Parts: sequence; structure tokens; C-alpha cells
Amino acid sequence: MDLAKYRAVFLEEASDHLEQMGRALLDLEKDGASSDAIDVVFRMAHSIKGMAASLGYDSITAVSHALEDRMAEIRNAGRITDPTELPLLFQGLEGLEAMVRVVRDTGEPPPPDPGLTETLRVAAPAPPKKKLLRP
Amino acid sequence: MARVLVADDASFMRQMIREIVEAEGHEVVGEAADGVEAVEQYERLHPDVVTMDIVMPRRSGIDAVRGILAVDPSARVVMCSALGQETLVTEALQAGARDFIVKPFKPDSVLDTLQKVLEKPE
Repeated sequence: MDLAKYRAVFLEEASDHLEQMGRALLDLEKDGASSDAIDVVFRMAHSIKGMAASLGYDSITAVSHALEDRMAEIRNAGRITDPTELPLLFQGLEGLEAMVRVVRDTGEPPPPDPGLTETLRVAAPAPPKKKLLRP
Repeated sequence: MARVLVADDASFMRQMIREIVEAEGHEVVGEAADGVEAVEQYERLHPDVVTMDIVMPRRSGIDAVRGILAVDPSARVVMCSALGQETLVTEALQAGARDFIVKPFKPDSVLDTLQKVLEKPE
């Protein structure tokens, strides 16, 4: 795998995704039940997670995975109900932006941020694991 | 060698799958960035196999599987899943997807899964 090539694609797509995520979070500030905005944040976190995992950026994978799980909970609930939720989501976004900046500036995987991952995991229980059986 | 349609909203993932399958001599005949495009491209191109991301805009990968199978009940679709998507993969297999591959992609695993699906009778 041509790491430099995929790093460049990652930086371009991740930056675009984070911009979309930011706009969707601003929409959620106005309307906490916007299903479009909830869906965008969920999909962007999911997509960043997949790309980061492919490049071995474990810290970005961990934070985006926690954010994705949190958005899945919000999607299931149909809206943001807790006023403390949005600041937490913005914190996740800012954390991801900082990590992507490290990749852009250094070309290296960003250091882990277990505190942020843990913060995003609080009150966002992981879905139960099911064993998959191939057909 | 097989004709492959790659459906994923991330260009990154489409490029990665393209590189893996083309290195093995398969041909990527089309790419789709959402579930609606995936069904449209399938109807137009009739590929031998489709790699289908689950989470996509406009129409989810699972719904696109249903759309493709409505057009061609013998279609071969392999889901591209990620960590934490076990329930959705199960739903996709119940909808008619033939198998699944897990991100981050390992070339051998992707190729083995595609080969297995291509060798199975329709």
C-alpha cells in the first residue's frame, strides 16, 4: 500500500468530513431532533473511523468510534435530550480536528487521547457484541 | 477474472478496494458513492460481484442490496463492514448479501472472500 498516497486522500476526506460534521453540529444546536444532522455526524464519524483504522491511526480510530457509538445512541433516541450532550460532541470534533492536524503537520500517527475517548464513552454504552456466522 | 462494482461513500475505501482487486487481475467496472448509485450502476453494468459499504448516504448499503436483488435475484453482493457493525451485517446477510469483509481491509481476506463468493453457484 502506498502510504503517502492514502495519507493524502485521508487528509482531504477527513478534513471535508470534519467540516460537514461541524456544520451538522451547528444545525443540532438549533434543532436537536434534526435526523439529517444526526445522520451526517454519525456517517462522518463512521467514515473517519474506517479510514483511520486502515492507516493504523489508532487514536483517531478510538475517538471516531466513540463518537459514532454516541451518535448511534442519539439516533436511537431520535433527538439530543441532554443539554450537556452538544458540548461533548463539539469536544469530540475538536479532538479529531487536532489529531488530523498532527497527521498533516508531521505525517505521523497522532498520540492517543484516552481521556477524550473515555469522556465520549461515558453514558454511551457500547452495543452488545454478537458473534457473526458466515453463510 | 471478475467484473467488480465498488460501492462506498469514501473515495479512500473505493481506491483501496480497487487497488486490491486490480492487483489480482479483476476489473473494477464501476464505482458508486451511495446506495442509489449502487443500484443504478448495477442495473447498467451487471457486474459479477459488488462490494457494498453498509453506511452510505441517500440509501443504505442494506437497502441497496434489497434493490439490487429485486433487479437480479442472483446478484452477488459482499458487504464491507467495520468494527461494531455486527447487527447490521447480520441484517445484510438476511437481506441476501452473500458474505462480508471487515475494515481495515486485508488484501488476502478481501480476495479470498470474493473468490469464494464468485465460485459459489448462483
